[in-house]
Amino acid sequence: MTTLEPSGVAEELRCAITSADPRLSKFSPLRRILTYDDFNSGTHGWTELLGNYNGRGDLSTVDDHMRDFRPPQLSSCTFFDIGTHGAMTGTYALKLATRPYTGHTATAIRRLTMSGRGRLQIEAYFTFKAEAVLDGSVGDQFGDVRWDGNLHPSEAQFGCFTVATDLCGDGGLRYHTVARYLNTTLENKLVHQWVYPTVPEPTPREHLAGKVKLGYGADFTAPNPEDWRPFGEPQELCYNEVPTKVNWHYLRWVIDTATRRNVELQLNDRVMDMSGVPVPPYQERYDSLENLLNFYFSVRTHSTIRNFLFLDSVLISTQW
Amino acid sequence: MRQTLTAVLERDTTFTTDFVTEPYEAAWAGEARWFVHTLASSGGGVAVRMVTQISPDGLTWCDLDGSERVATGPGLVSWPISEFGQWLRLHATLTGENPSVKLRIYLTAKS
Repeated sequence: MTTLEPSGVAEELRCAITSADPRLSKFSPLRRILTYDDFNSGTHGWTELLGNYNGRGDLSTVDDHMRDFRPPQLSSCTFFDIGTHGAMTGTYALKLATRPYTGHTATAIRRLTMSGRGRLQIEAYFTFKAEAVLDGSVGDQFGDVRWDGNLHPSEAQFGCFTVATDLCGDGGLRYHTVARYLNTTLENKLVHQWVYPTVPEPTPREHLAGKVKLGYGADFTAPNPEDWRPFGEPQELCYNEVPTKVNWHYLRWVIDTATRRNVELQLNDRVMDMSGVPVPPYQERYDSLENLLNFYFSVRTHSTIRNFLFLDSVLISTQW
Repeated sequence: MRQTLTAVLERDTTFTTDFVTEPYEAAWAGEARWFVHTLASSGGGVAVRMVTQISPDGLTWCDLDGSERVATGPGLVSWPISEFGQWLRLHATLTGENPSVKLRIYLTAKS
């Protein structure tokens, strides 16, 4: 655990104040809270990711696989059967919603810069769902799940969600850290496995240089399924049976920007050591990105059913 | 200060047949406005006829009211909407000979 232990009066006081604040007491922030986002008061800078475009603002020059990541929504988590579920805190959560197109990804990105180097942590309370299907087009069987009164085919209709960074500094050295929860394979079989990519994300500059050309619906983080590796043991989350019940999960992910390494990932009661998970940098240097500090969440559907990732609240904190 | 949000529901999309936009939640908003920017258009006598649709669950839809807005060529068309439900979308019908339109569709909402 990297959660700071009290060491001295100042640290004890900081912990006491944090613990007494109902907004913060459910988090374990590092020393400096950089951002705290409760989506009852807007989107807090979490916005849609879009690929780059040319000097004329011609959006047809945006890479096909990065032109339609969909705008995040302020959602009351309302469903056809029970009405408004609401968020963990208040009424609203930030919702990422894919199109009903196999392979489609929705994103929300937050753009910051680094004022130091060291440990960097993101915490979030989130939940994930596939859209309810009411027209009978799916039936009681999907992937390897058959409705038995407990398991529901909706669970096999959710593909994956990802938390990741885009970081750059020290003379244009750019890299990503990535953690993905693969709920199902591309064949809609439940796997419940954490995975990471072994290659850096394809960039618009690489496309412009003719090195890569990806189609709509390609996995923008790492398009080749063979470039993903598992880490940790399979972990079952609380999908809660049907597409209209939401249970909020805790995520805490630590990286180190001084060493450009992963540290650890906590999901509910499980902490996974990520220090051995490699962080491949780009071989070429990047301009215009000094001290870049971006976090993004994404959700990708492996079926023709919309997938949703709901964020109740997000906190980013740093050691520096 | 009031909350506001602009969502780009279609960014640079060419349509040749009728379409609906993706569902968008706006229950928090007291008012909203569509901006439909026709970037390019081809065909004979082409028109995009648009109505606002609402939904309580994002799954089942009806028209908000009886009004229809029409875009007939490059430029911006805008109209306000109010007293809507949980979700919003546009339903568009393309008319004319071999219609093709490239659209950018903004939904702006305000608390």
